[in-house]
Amino acid sequence: MEQKLYVKVLKFFLIVVVTMLFFFPIYWIFSMAFKPFPEWTAAGGKIYWFPNNPTFNNFRAIFSRKLEMSPIAGTAIRPILNSLTVSIIGTAIAMVVGIFAAYGISRYKAGGNLPFMLLQLRMFPPIAIIIPIMIMWAFLRMIDTWYGLAIIYGVVTLPFSVWLMKTFFDDIPKELDEAAIVDGCSNIGAFFKVVMPLAKGGIASSALFVFILNWSDFLIALILTDRRWTTIPVHISKLQSAMVGALYGPKAALGMIAAVPPIVFGILIQKYLVRGFTFGAIKK
Amino acid sequence: MANIVLDKLVKRFGKQVAVNELSLEIKDREFVAILGPSGCGKTTTMNMISGLLKPDAGTVRFDGTVMNNIPPGKRGVGFMFQNYAVFTYLSVYDNIAFGLRIRKMETEQIDKEVQEVARLLQIRHLLSMPASNLSINDMQKVALARSMVEKPQIFLLDEPLSNLDAALRSVMRAELKKIQQELGQTTVYVTHDQVEAMSLADRIAVMNFAVLQQYDAPHNIYNRPKNLFVANFIGSPTINFFEGRYRGGEFNLKDFSAGKMSVSKENKKQVDDSIRGEDIVLGIRPEHLKVGSSRDGVSGLKAKIVSVEPLGSKTIVYMHPDGNPSAILKSSMDSDFKPKIGEMTSLIINEKNLYLFDKKSADLVMRFGS
Repeated sequence: MEQKLYVKVLKFFLIVVVTMLFFFPIYWIFSMAFKPFPEWTAAGGKIYWFPNNPTFNNFRAIFSRKLEMSPIAGTAIRPILNSLTVSIIGTAIAMVVGIFAAYGISRYKAGGNLPFMLLQLRMFPPIAIIIPIMIMWAFLRMIDTWYGLAIIYGVVTLPFSVWLMKTFFDDIPKELDEAAIVDGCSNIGAFFKVVMPLAKGGIASSALFVFILNWSDFLIALILTDRRWTTIPVHISKLQSAMVGALYGPKAALGMIAAVPPIVFGILIQKYLVRGFTFGAIKK
Repeated sequence: MANIVLDKLVKRFGKQVAVNELSLEIKDREFVAILGPSGCGKTTTMNMISGLLKPDAGTVRFDGTVMNNIPPGKRGVGFMFQNYAVFTYLSVYDNIAFGLRIRKMETEQIDKEVQEVARLLQIRHLLSMPASNLSINDMQKVALARSMVEKPQIFLLDEPLSNLDAALRSVMRAELKKIQQELGQTTVYVTHDQVEAMSLADRIAVMNFAVLQQYDAPHNIYNRPKNLFVANFIGSPTINFFEGRYRGGEFNLKDFSAGKMSVSKENKKQVDDSIRGEDIVLGIRPEHLKVGSSRDGVSGLKAKIVSVEPLGSKTIVYMHPDGNPSAILKSSMDSDFKPKIGEMTSLIINEKNLYLFDKKSADLVMRFGS
């Protein structure tokens, strides 16, 4: 049925409004990152919707110690490298363990009730367990170390990766493994030769989700790191100077930089994010 | 050479017994169908032959060698799955060559084998295609090619035709039979479709509730079913059963108010000798249960016609015995038979076509006229 013109207009208008609502914070970070100090705040009675005098000073500020409004917390180079290190290692731990665990659960029903208990773990907010973990970590001398943070990231995101991977493995018919086994593969050979190539897309997209979870974590890094291994989110919170207080411009600049790795990762695995192209193997 | 002997195989999943004390002998070059309703243990049996499942008890022997602990890849079996299990991320060629490569065969030899099997199945033009682009029919052929390429002595087919449409199914049925006769492997074929089993197999193993019910040639399965289950499972439309009692040369049938059928003198002694209990079930195939007013063989039983299915070659008539709607009878009549719905009609039963079952044990007691 042909829609009336005003219905079409209304629909379009609604879509525009909702889209603007969702994109506004992102726009605000991008514009803020390029605003000079006087435009950050509405203190002068004026809100700057666009940077009137675009500047790269905010980026300079987070990477140097020389400018007058340089943050007390030091430069952002170390936190960026820290974030990359612990997020990548944490993601690797969660994925490697997760893939094998998920395969065992999916194919051999390993662990009985364990898979469901893993899911229940996700219901605990990290805040509920972080203090005991901090005490354990302090005891093990793992506070403010890369491995201390990477291990906890791997563990916290593990249930997520297990459940995500399990759904991907469940979608791959077990007859494919069996066909490979009858053809002479061992169990593990069937996994690497048949299941892994088919699950590539699922593995890539799970890795992206897990990476984003680790990358954006604030709470755990705040409590388990101190100086040397602070990550980007923690560093952002520390961006203030003695002179001007909270450094909104540099915060936005670092926030913009922080958005780059997940976006690049996402673009790299883009073709795997579209699911369903491998699962025509079997007629149901 | 490859004969298969299954000796008292047992497989349990948790508390559920999937296969119970199954013994079966399959001769070299024989085509055996394992037939049964879903969940009867036929696929489990197949997986124990292939080695994908280990039996909890009993042995699987190929040519006298116990295979229980030999992995599937080393048993020399070709397996074709119901859903084909074609690796869609590979080309058709790579799919067929998959097993040969795992076995580290020379590249030239692999090429020769793949080309040969592709020629046999007429899929040479597909070899370079990605398997994900195949139609269902071609996918089926690729799956067949993959299981055949290693020239297995034993060929296991798990419902290979159930995903095809009816027309192609009969074409592939003929094809399979031809290939099996050419190559002469021992073949085990799992199916729930009695037509496939009857038309393809040298012998049929009928299973139900994890237990082997009967193992015999198709003709005997149809004509001398060992028990009520086999009689009911084989044949379309299904066999008619009349429950009743036998006393003094007379069957007293439950569904008919005036349901007395007396046994002829020549058969009476045999019935008296072989019968085990008073409670019996009489069976008669629809093609032997005729409707009409003919004098010969009129049983004195009446039924009300409730619906008619003209199938072209024959006409199936459905009736309620004595008009009693809780039971239904089927009769297969010539296609020129034009019954009136709602009409009370006489049933013509020739005694020699009756099967007599013992109700308690469900076993066939005797077949009249044989």
